[in-house]
Amino acid sequence: MLRFLRSLLGLPSNRADFEDRMSEEMRFHIDSFIEDLVRSGLSPQEASRRARIEFGHIDSIKQDCRQARGLQLLDELSRNLRQSARLLSKTPAFTLTAILPLAFCLGANLAIFALLDGVLLRPLPFPDPGRLVLLYKTYPNAGVLRDGASPANLYERRGRIAAFSHIAISHPDAAIVGEPGATVREDILLVSTDFFSTLGVQPIFGRAFQEDEMTYETDRVAILTHDYWTRHFHSDPAAVGRQIRMDGQSRTIVGILPPGFTYLSSKAVIYTPYASAPNERGPAQRHSGRGGELIARLHPSTTIEAAQSQIDAFDASVAHEYAHAAMMAAAGYRTKIVNLHADHVASIRPTLLLLQTGVFFLLLIGSVNLVNLLLVRASARNKELAVRLALGAGRWHIVGEVITETAMLTSLGGLLSLFIAAGAIPLLAALGTEHLPFAHRITFDYHLASIAMLASVLTGFFAGVPVAWLSLRGSVGAALQGETRGGTAGHAAQRLRHGFMVAQIALAFVLLSAAGLLRLSLERVGALSLGFPSDHLLSGHISLPWPAYPQPQMRLTFTENLLTTIANQPGVHAAGIVSNLPLSGNNTQSGVNVVSRPLKPGELPRVPFAYSVGGSYFDAVRVPLLEGRLLDAADSRRPDRVCVVDEIFARHYWPSGGAIGERIFLGPVLKKDTDAFTIVGVVGRVKQTSLSETTSQGSVYLPYGHRADNNFYIVARTAHAPDTLNATLARIVRQIDPDLPINDVRSMETRITESLTSRRAPTLLAAVFAAASLLLASFGTYGVLSYAVSRRRREIGVRVALGAPPNAIRMQFLVLGLRLLLGGTCLGTAGAWAAGLAMQKLLYDLPPLYWPNLAAAASVMLVATLAACLIPSHRAARVSPIAALSG
Amino acid sequence: MPPPRFPIPQGTLDMLILQILSLEPAHGYGIAQRLEQISKSVVQVNQGSLYPALHRLEQKGWLKAHWKPSETGREAKFYSLTTSGQKQLRIEKDSWARLTGAVKLIFDEGAAQ
Repeated sequence: MLRFLRSLLGLPSNRADFEDRMSEEMRFHIDSFIEDLVRSGLSPQEASRRARIEFGHIDSIKQDCRQARGLQLLDELSRNLRQSARLLSKTPAFTLTAILPLAFCLGANLAIFALLDGVLLRPLPFPDPGRLVLLYKTYPNAGVLRDGASPANLYERRGRIAAFSHIAISHPDAAIVGEPGATVREDILLVSTDFFSTLGVQPIFGRAFQEDEMTYETDRVAILTHDYWTRHFHSDPAAVGRQIRMDGQSRTIVGILPPGFTYLSSKAVIYTPYASAPNERGPAQRHSGRGGELIARLHPSTTIEAAQSQIDAFDASVAHEYAHAAMMAAAGYRTKIVNLHADHVASIRPTLLLLQTGVFFLLLIGSVNLVNLLLVRASARNKELAVRLALGAGRWHIVGEVITETAMLTSLGGLLSLFIAAGAIPLLAALGTEHLPFAHRITFDYHLASIAMLASVLTGFFAGVPVAWLSLRGSVGAALQGETRGGTAGHAAQRLRHGFMVAQIALAFVLLSAAGLLRLSLERVGALSLGFPSDHLLSGHISLPWPAYPQPQMRLTFTENLLTTIANQPGVHAAGIVSNLPLSGNNTQSGVNVVSRPLKPGELPRVPFAYSVGGSYFDAVRVPLLEGRLLDAADSRRPDRVCVVDEIFARHYWPSGGAIGERIFLGPVLKKDTDAFTIVGVVGRVKQTSLSETTSQGSVYLPYGHRADNNFYIVARTAHAPDTLNATLARIVRQIDPDLPINDVRSMETRITESLTSRRAPTLLAAVFAAASLLLASFGTYGVLSYAVSRRRREIGVRVALGAPPNAIRMQFLVLGLRLLLGGTCLGTAGAWAAGLAMQKLLYDLPPLYWPNLAAAASVMLVATLAACLIPSHRAARVSPIAALSG
Repeated sequence: MPPPRFPIPQGTLDMLILQILSLEPAHGYGIAQRLEQISKSVVQVNQGSLYPALHRLEQKGWLKAHWKPSETGREAKFYSLTTSGQKQLRIEKDSWARLTGAVKLIFDEGAAQ
């Protein structure tokens, strides 16, 4: 290490060699001088004497030489390091007490920083990632904040927006891959021709997709990820040109992607063309959301703002081509351009920042603890320092010594924290970080380790400053005279320690109240209901491949066979299907109009959640019926179209009732009168996106037979624990179609639990941080009070001898502890308010200052502080005057 | 009694060392002798103080050193000028000339009045 430093500074690399040669050089000088003097006639003794006088003091000259070489700084550093190591190893108890809590705090910081770094900070793994942007459509006035892109959005704009060098669309999907009987469901990504060049990536073998492969007739090609190619084709370059069976159809492999390529957090292993028909690429499809994601690469010379104004101008210039442009304008339609990385992590960003702030508070508390420990020890060494100062030790020398010692302590803590963080990061995965964006980038690596070491040395430096200040502050005379009280430096140290103590309590209080708020919020959300009983409900996702089920009738027949078989299983009360299961992440919304109420100019259609339901969906889920009747299996086969709406939709149009019998239709215009659906029932509200969903445009339920999506969920109400039917469900699906897997099989309770992960994980972490901070703060209080008692033993002894009752003495120290607590809590309340404000986005229905929570946090602090004060004050009350005065 | 000797002016020792070494490489004792001879014992150099200066100049890269047998056969550390040392010597000579020129000008001005 030192040798490395030397070579870095261009200093002589071998120290012993340097010293030898320097001595030899000077010896040569003196010997030669003596010889010359003897030759000129002096006696050898006289010559030797003269030579030495003329040469000067050899040791100080050597020291000057070393200084000329810049070696003395290094010497001092290594001397300080040696001395610190000696001191620390002499007091192992102190060293461990100082290191362990700090190592924990640093380790926790490191683990959270690994999250922050992997998710937020590290740039996207593509060339010039800052130029990658995402485009999305928004209709704020209609309640649709974000809609997916359609092929029209790509083809209408490609080559016509100057700010974009590339533009591409992608759409996540799944495919059933493999030979009959051995099929596996794999995640795939449908992408347009320029997708890979937009990202700045090229296949390592083969080629990217071509324009003539972007139609439904010609899209039988595929590109594999490096990983999939390695696992299934043994990294054979000849795989390019071979066939792969997907959804029952053969596709030609045309390319292999570079190793490690992943698009954001996509788990896709195969890429296929994003095919579309010519009529899907024109203005008529501009506002249909096919769930695509439009990305673009900005030209180097442009900005997001410039691109935004170009898009706005372009959209305005082509608006008239769309029949219902006025309605879209009224809905506030706009295409927004955002940074791809920032947008991808936008939802998790506040949580991560909050956690990092919280854990940084913990580090502050840990550092304050360390400073207080060091201050106590510095006070004990005050006299030694004063003697050394009086004997002429340099002030900077002493500062250097103190800082070296603290930095050494914190570096040891830093080293230990590496192990703690390396162990904690996998633990974080268990809390659900594997569901975060870029979860694969959350790792412990040398980059993180070097940050940890830098942070620990910095911590040591900042912790050393107040200690060094205290060490130098006291006047020499006072420190030497002060018998037990330590003179002015003693008072200053005490004030400093108390000040730090108050800060520590305040920080711990902020963490406690923040953790309390998160917990309360989690409890409140957890107590909410989806709108139906969520127990004993099993669901699984099925995706019918287009090639095998091209006709709606085929899909309907399949679902009817499936549901009949499932409903006949023992232990199944009722079974149905639904296109977008609550909490599944599938939240299709459709514009809906009422036949009897044509839109007034400027008025917008409602955009409720639209569900296709089949079988006995309502019986299975048990959504409460408020009016009319529910849909049943037979409605899918009846020619007259009926539907059910929820109370929110019904109340919007018919506040005083009368929804039954009214007719509604999907889309902006009713093309054929028979396309309309007659409302036959009104049901209760069901929450679709999350338990804490507050606003909704309502829901519309249509019979599956009239809107037969190829993606749907099976839902079964079971008599026993739902998970016992998992295998049965998969077996039944395979019986009907051997090629068809069922996936995402989970009970509704599990879905609810998982939907709360983003609330539970930070709550749990905050609780851990709060508990640790409480422990550290009580430990700190204990330390400071114990020290106060031990310093005032003699004073207490005198008072006891003069007749002071032990209770009065006990009270004195308890009151000191409580005063520190009061100061810390007052300061902490301000901090808690600020924290509550910062956390508003993450909280459900809680104000920033929630008094019951603050009171709870304060009582926890009170109990902890009292516990920490008890032993020292008790010890004070039991001071024996004889022992104190004679000791 | 020898005439009183001047202590060497601050900062000129480096220049003198560079000048001596620009003629030929020498060891520390040799440099000390040369200084003594050239200055005809007018300038007093504490012999030992030569060495910190030599180390400083070597650290700056103006001198390089290697060990080889001296005239007596004993191994000694010989210093010689590097290219950047030669450049430095030119710079120092130049600024010295300008300084002494300026001083002389001031003295002459004073004498003219």
